[in-house]
Amino acid sequence: MLSRRALLQGAGAMAVAGAFPALAPNPAGAAPLARVRELGTLRVAVYRDNRPWSWEKDGKLVGIDVDLAKALASKLNLRADVAQITADESVDDDLRNAVWKGGLLGFMPADIMLHIPFDRTFAARNDQVAIIAPYYRETFQFAGRHDDIDCDAPPVQWKGKRLAAELDSIPDFYLIGAFGGALSKDVTHYMSGAEAVNAMIDGKADGVLASRAQIEAVLHERGAGGVARRKMPLPAFTSAGWDIGLAVKENSRTLGDAIEEIMSGMVSSGEMQALFAAHGVTYMAPVAAG
Amino acid sequence: MKGRILRSLGSAAALALVVAGAPLLAQGGTAGPNDADLMNDAASTGDVLTYGMGPQAQRFSTLKQIDTSNVAKLVPAFASSLGGEKQRGQEAQPIVYDGTIYVTGSYSRVFAFDARTGEEKWQYDARLPEAIMPCCDVVNRGAAIYGDKIIFATLDARIVALNRNTGKVVWNKQIADYKEGYSATAAPIIVKGMVITGNSGGEFGVVGAVEARDVNTGELIWHRPVIEGHMGTLRGKDNGITGKTNASWQGDLWKTGGGATWLGGTYDPETNLLFFGTGNPAPWNSHLRPGDNLYTSSTLAIDPDTGLIKWHYQTTPHDGWDFDGVNEFIPFDATIKGKPMKLGAKADRNGYFYILDRTNGKFISASKFVMQTTWADGINPKTGRPNYIEAGRPPAPGTEKGKPVFASPSFLGGKNWMPMAYSHDTGLFYIPSNDWGMDIWNEGIAYKKGAAYLGAGFTIKPIADDHIGVLRAMDPRTGKIMWEYKNKAPLWGGVLTTGGNLVFTGTPEGYLKAFDAKTGQELWKFQTGSGVVGSPVTWEQDGEQYVAVMSGWGGAVPLWGGEVAKSFKDINQGGALWVFKLAK
Repeated sequence: MLSRRALLQGAGAMAVAGAFPALAPNPAGAAPLARVRELGTLRVAVYRDNRPWSWEKDGKLVGIDVDLAKALASKLNLRADVAQITADESVDDDLRNAVWKGGLLGFMPADIMLHIPFDRTFAARNDQVAIIAPYYRETFQFAGRHDDIDCDAPPVQWKGKRLAAELDSIPDFYLIGAFGGALSKDVTHYMSGAEAVNAMIDGKADGVLASRAQIEAVLHERGAGGVARRKMPLPAFTSAGWDIGLAVKENSRTLGDAIEEIMSGMVSSGEMQALFAAHGVTYMAPVAAG
Repeated sequence: MKGRILRSLGSAAALALVVAGAPLLAQGGTAGPNDADLMNDAASTGDVLTYGMGPQAQRFSTLKQIDTSNVAKLVPAFASSLGGEKQRGQEAQPIVYDGTIYVTGSYSRVFAFDARTGEEKWQYDARLPEAIMPCCDVVNRGAAIYGDKIIFATLDARIVALNRNTGKVVWNKQIADYKEGYSATAAPIIVKGMVITGNSGGEFGVVGAVEARDVNTGELIWHRPVIEGHMGTLRGKDNGITGKTNASWQGDLWKTGGGATWLGGTYDPETNLLFFGTGNPAPWNSHLRPGDNLYTSSTLAIDPDTGLIKWHYQTTPHDGWDFDGVNEFIPFDATIKGKPMKLGAKADRNGYFYILDRTNGKFISASKFVMQTTWADGINPKTGRPNYIEAGRPPAPGTEKGKPVFASPSFLGGKNWMPMAYSHDTGLFYIPSNDWGMDIWNEGIAYKKGAAYLGAGFTIKPIADDHIGVLRAMDPRTGKIMWEYKNKAPLWGGVLTTGGNLVFTGTPEGYLKAFDAKTGQELWKFQTGSGVVGSPVTWEQDGEQYVAVMSGWGGAVPLWGGEVAKSFKDINQGGALWVFKLAK
């Protein structure tokens, strides 16, 4: 491990100087990483409008994934080219558009794409890419204002309360579909989970079902108090959470290996946790890594 | 008004129209077609001025120089390439006027070709943002012509008016925000000096609408959302809510209810009604949205003067199969049970061919035009509603994981976007249809935008050994199929019928074919080099009858794999206008 990292760093130094003899021991496998170094730029795809991971704030692209992209590029001695990709109907489509083929309208494939579910079944059917380096464990959570709603009550008791969810998401389907649709008339839909959390803080909703990162980031940004989060699992809820990693092209595993090294270094040094904390989100180790 | 006249000063032709209102000659051409010319398009044989060859979109020409006896002698006059690396699906119908053929191409392009030589006069390429996500290829279905303008819609949801002599932009208006998932691919129609358009869009967060704009300026005149609860406008003022809020939707789902009007519409001057079809409701899974979900999967009759809905007919209430109701509603007259009637016909995605009274939307009949409909056992003649087969409805998300439901037609429909034709001579409708089904199941592991999701998996499957595509001749008076032509690959192009007792349509295998309109006998075919998914037209020029069609394989079909893909996997992309006439 250590020696490989040393080798990579050596290659980085050489790349700056414009030569690659350090990679001679494994020339075939080194090609994709070497090409990236030759170009001097790491092109990283992130989702458009995916707060708190990657979104535009006052015209500037910000977020946890954006910071992570910059950190990865910097540790590889490369310039970061962070490109936003509009989500298609499924992540499978996004991998095609952003990583292994490119977009219909000319989106240039990226070297890596962040925020890709790390899941064996999902990875098996997307064999044009390698999904690697899980870096977070995401879950959906229910949060509400202390005074307005009992977060730990059986959900059917929320009937008549104002509930917020992102349109066309598992929280949406759960709230409008579960318990025979008992809560369906109480749900207001928002275009993102962050918007739904904001609606709850603004008093337009009593409770919100959103991802943990969405809840924590918005609470942090708004400095909002008086908000509780449900402690027990939601009955008959379909998602136990999922790991998030990143994708590289199937033939770019050398680049993937280098990134995995960097990411594990960032976790052991505490840099990763700090990067999340800057956005108000508690770093959660992926289950796959445990 | 002052602004409009000042802006028009730049163009002598436009000034002539505004000031004199008479067909004066401008540099290099005539003043161009006016409203009366467009309304007369079905009768005028020397041009093709409207999408559908007439506002009713019957796609019938009285021309008979080319007929069943001589069509075998049809040969290419020329072919014009759309060139470049941009190929993919060419679904356009050509417009022909004053010695020029105007076609739209993939990636929101417009071409003007000399109608005698095929030489390019000009080309316009819309600059498209990289971030648009067209659901179903980068197609465009055609342009409209009016005065000195060629008008078309772009993938980033804009309407662009070009000077028809130069290809220069006259006006360019955003009709919706592509960042919210909106797009536009249909050919606009022009009625009473207004450009009338629908909208396209993905499944979520989009609301279908029909809009009218001033043809000279692009300024919005009226806006009519097609989902109940939404406010319409007329000249900047509120003009009534569509339907009744929450009458057929629960909670706030009507706000994002879908119903995109992505195929445009037809117009009947006799009843002064616009007919627009609406897409499927959102969210996709029907268990999440109890109710009929009006006015999705419907045909709407709209008053062009006010944008008010005069009647509606919903072909698939509470759609659970993605049976968009967007298909063209074609006005026609026929005698039913001894009574002459003003009717309209629609071959729906759901596999049924509907006849309605076009004056009031009343149900007359519905006949199955595909091999199999697993979702319904006929349409109840008393209520006009489907006799649903509930076992054929895809299950609620998260339930019965992995267990497939078989549904026919597939979500690509018994008939998709490709327009049918109606012959005045035979009294038959010629329907480009497909016999295919789908397995649909709840995907155990699904992700959307990096997050866990409850998605559905699909596989489209052939249901016959020898074909998927079928061109069918339907007698609207009896609901009987009079003949059918079977094609190995799915049919995806429009149909033309003529006074020469002919029916023309293209195939993905690359052929433009001609059939005897009465018997279905194949009389002629020509290989265009790529799949034909455009709509053929015919006109007379210098005493000779011409036929033209676009070639270029693409559209939604090649985006889907599975068993069906075997029938088209070897078809190459292309992009060309082909023009034919009789050999001398």
